[in-house]
Amino acid sequence: MHEASIAIQLLNIAVAECQKNGYNKIDSIKVIVGRATGVMTDALLFAFNVLKDGTPASEATLIIEEVPVRGICKDCKNEFQSNENYLIFECPNCGNLSIDLISGKELNIIEMEVSNEN
Amino acid sequence: MKIKVTTRILDANDRIAEENKKMFKEAGVYVINLMSSPGAGKTSLLERTINAIKDKVKVGVIEGDITGTNDAERIDRLGVPVVQINTEGACHLDANMIADAAKDLPLKDLDLLFIENVGNLVCPAEFKVGEDIKVMILSLTEGDDKPLKYPLMFQESSVLLINKIDLKDLLDVDIEKIKKDAKFLNPNIKIFEVSCKTGQGIEEWTNWLLTSIS
Repeated sequence: MHEASIAIQLLNIAVAECQKNGYNKIDSIKVIVGRATGVMTDALLFAFNVLKDGTPASEATLIIEEVPVRGICKDCKNEFQSNENYLIFECPNCGNLSIDLISGKELNIIEMEVSNEN
Repeated sequence: MKIKVTTRILDANDRIAEENKKMFKEAGVYVINLMSSPGAGKTSLLERTINAIKDKVKVGVIEGDITGTNDAERIDRLGVPVVQINTEGACHLDANMIADAAKDLPLKDLDLLFIENVGNLVCPAEFKVGEDIKVMILSLTEGDDKPLKYPLMFQESSVLLINKIDLKDLLDVDIEKIKKDAKFLNPNIKIFEVSCKTGQGIEEWTNWLLTSIS
């Protein structure tokens, strides 16, 4: 995946949200990352910590919450959960590869903590 | 103080892609995002396709490459409008690059726009550019294990063109396995066997294409 460009987007969104609410410092940002996105969380954290310098998020902590893959097999209708970190899923019940994903593709900012520094 | 937000991080690209799609729709242009590995035959397929249909529909092309203008020169020789994008290192095209390139095309005069993505079997599938459909090429020399190794592109594509079919007797490649695995990943994928060298299968593909865009 493209963790550095994701980190830039993430910072852009967070800084805009912070300023929109009248604050000038970001203390933490919480994101959820689905395991079917292909995003490597270590690489995302590394990119964030490099790129945050010189922004209102320069002292911010990035909290990453991973979301497991959940799906329903289109064939046998079995609902299952997998912690595999890749894009291809096999129904553990019948082996079919046609799956409707319920979760696992999330890549969202869900919460941030902000403050004012004089 | 806590702020609750629910913002998709890759929303920016998707939003620009939606704007592109709207712009293309208003201009009456059908847009195909063409993807494959390097050397699978994207530009050769465009040459064959454009020669076969250019009397029936007005075609334009956006060429995406890391560097160079070789592909745009090949398309230019066919007498259709073409714009070259050099990504200067990026491994895929994104919606912003397409929004910029589209300004240099006579969209109102076009019926069909091909966007030839950067040769790469992974990243282009992750970025929408404002296309109506994604079409991918897998050439026989790449091997029959590719659908299961690079599933996303097969899952995202509406059409799979299996190119270099003229080589099938020379290679240890199981074409039925490619088709079976591609259908496994994407039951609705439409598959054509073609050879851009001999022209085999090109008519079936262009007939399908002309029906889809009309």
